[in-house]
Formats: sequence, C-alpha cells, structure tokens
Amino acid sequence: MKIQTEQKRIVDIALKAGNIMLTNGAETYRVEDTVQRMMASRGLEDVHVFVIPTGIIVSANIDNHPTTILERVHGEGIDLEVIDRINALSRQFTSTDMPIEAASDAIDLLVNHPPAFSKWTRFFFSGMAGGFFIFLFKGSFVEFLLAYIVSSFTVLCFDSLSDKRLNFFVKNIIGGFLASLFGIISVSLIGCFGIYASLNMVIIGPLMTLVPGVSLNNGIRDLISGELLAGSAKITEALFIAIALAFGVGIMLQLGINFI
Amino acid sequence: MYIITQGIYALFSVIGFSIIFNLPRKLIPYAGVTGMIGWMVYVTLQGQTSNFILPAVVGSVAVGLIGEILAAITRHPSTMFTIPGIIPFVPGYGIYYTMLYIVQKDFDQAMTTGAQSLFVAISIACGVLLATSLMRFIRPSMDKWLEKIR
Repeated sequence: MKIQTEQKRIVDIALKAGNIMLTNGAETYRVEDTVQRMMASRGLEDVHVFVIPTGIIVSANIDNHPTTILERVHGEGIDLEVIDRINALSRQFTSTDMPIEAASDAIDLLVNHPPAFSKWTRFFFSGMAGGFFIFLFKGSFVEFLLAYIVSSFTVLCFDSLSDKRLNFFVKNIIGGFLASLFGIISVSLIGCFGIYASLNMVIIGPLMTLVPGVSLNNGIRDLISGELLAGSAKITEALFIAIALAFGVGIMLQLGINFI
Repeated sequence: MYIITQGIYALFSVIGFSIIFNLPRKLIPYAGVTGMIGWMVYVTLQGQTSNFILPAVVGSVAVGLIGEILAAITRHPSTMFTIPGIIPFVPGYGIYYTMLYIVQKDFDQAMTTGAQSLFVAISIACGVLLATSLMRFIRPSMDKWLEKIR
C-alpha cells in the first residue's frame, strides 16, 4: 500500500467534500469554491479546480509533483442539510487548524447519516407542498384535498423508486405516469359521487413536486455567470427530466382519455 | 386580503417543499417566510401588469435579497432560503400545459406556453443572480453592522 502523504490526504478530503456536495445538488460554483478553499488553506500550491455536474477535476502541486485527479460524480437528488453541514465543516477546516483525521471522520459520518425526516413526515409534508399549490392557481377546496393525497402518494412511490438505482429518465417517466394515474383515479372516484374536480389541477400539484425547478434555475444561473459547460449540462439534465415527466403524463392521459 | 391568503398558502407550500429538499429543521420557518414574501410580491405585481416576466423577475429578486440577508444573519448559505423560496414561481403549470397541448396535437399553443415557461425560468434565475450581485456590495457593511449588534 502506498504511503499517504499529508498533502495527498488534504486533497482527498477536499475531493470527498466536493463529491458529497455535488451528489446532493449543490451549485457548481459553490463546490468549486469549497474545494479550492479547502486545498489552498492548507498550503497547497497551484490549485485549480474544475467542476461539472458529473465530475470534479483537481490539479495541484502535491509534494512538488504537479498532479491532476479526476473524481467521477453521480448526482442523486437534493439534500440541503448535507450541503449545509459540509459548508460549515469546510469553513471550520479552512479557518482553524482542524486535524485532518477529525475532518475525515466528520465527512464519513455525514455520508452515513440517517435521513433527516422519517418516511411519514415526508409523506405528510409532500402532500402539503403539492396541495397548497392548487390554491396558488385558484383551485377549489376539493381539488386541494385530492392533490394533497395524490402528491403524498406520488412522492412516497418516487422515493422508493430512488432506492432501486433506476436510470433517471425511466424513473421520471414512471413518476409522471404515477402522478397522472393517481390523479385520474381520484378524480373519477369522486366523480362517482357527483362532485366535480378539474383533472388538470389535480395533476399539476403532484407534478410540481417532481418538476426539475432547482436544476433548471441552477443551470441558468451557471450559464449567466459564465460557467458554460456546467450550465449546459445542468439545463440538459433539467430538460430531459421535464421531457420524461411529460412522457409519463402523456402516456397516462392518452390511456385515460380512452378509458373514461 | 386576497394577497394575504395567497401568502399563507405559499407559506405552507414552501414549508412542504423544504421538507422534500431536506432543509435543516431550524431553517424551515425562515425559508417559508422567504417564499411567502416572494409570492406576495409576485401576486401584487401580477394584478398590476399583463407582463408575464416582470412579476417573476421582481419576485425572485425579493426572494434572493431576503435569502441573502437571512444568510448573513443566520450564517448559513443563502441557497438554503432561495431554493425553497423560488419554488412557487417555477413554471410547473406551463410545463404541464405544454405537454397537454402536445397530447391534444395543438402545437401552436404548445409552442407559446413552452416558450413562456422557458422565459419565466430564465427570469427567475436572472432575478436571483441580480439579488446576489447586489448583495455583494451591501454584504461587507451589513456584516460590520451585524457584528456591532452581536
């Protein structure tokens, strides 16, 4: 086994921190900034960091050898708590002389941290997210109740899909499909009791919980600030998620129109 | 009155989204208020003009500014507040209708709504960026002021 020099370990920690941030949906400029600061603060020279949503490239003078390291990243979703904690950790790492072992342990702890909210908390609040959206678009109270239930179930199913390591395109097609399937079922169910609810409204609420608003926004922000490669990658991702969702909803609507 | 009820609905919606995004527990109220004020600005402007870009830009500037100010006060990154805060503006409505028109083979309408949603998305990002660059000038003096209070 190779002996790890101190400088190599600093680079490893910085890369690990960057990887976790990027996996959990941090903006590219923030990751670039964090990795750069963490390395430069501990006396590494000629530090250059290049971040795109699918990888991090770092080059520095490690033990007097100019070295480049590439770290591949697979994005998973958005977890703001992890980003917040890594941010705090990196601030502590750069401003105090925190031992490298302590930083490394703290990062390992973060990787294996249990989810912040239980499955049922998420179930309850994701309904709130989708449900109250209906009121923002002047929907009725019945539509609110339906959208609440449908969004809860959509997010529950979508979360369990995320554990299966599906391709993101297929995953989002299924997500859109489920949202509109639940929507059609619930609208036709209460239709049996003679209560009217607009199907479009009931589908939009749950769909909002899946729409890639954050990637789209971060991507455009990257593009405007001149990070052309990272920005285009993010926007393409958002675009394909939107296309996948539309596919899923479209398939279900076509089927629904035939059946109802 | 209408604006206040809309604000309350937006508050609940943003709190829900904060939990979907796993926001740290103690920051959830701040994010909710950020989103609420942003949406109230948006609704107020929407009643005044027929322009569909202006409300989104001004609303997201408000969200960005409040997010940055809260970031300085609470010492957390500003994205913690802006990401949930901009969610009500995100044109999910437009994306859905674009798709619906395509399914109904109404391509003219699909193009119109699609282009509109794209421009709304761009204007949201521009608004947040504008607020961030504005705060870059204000932040140093604000930090000094906060230091004095603490």
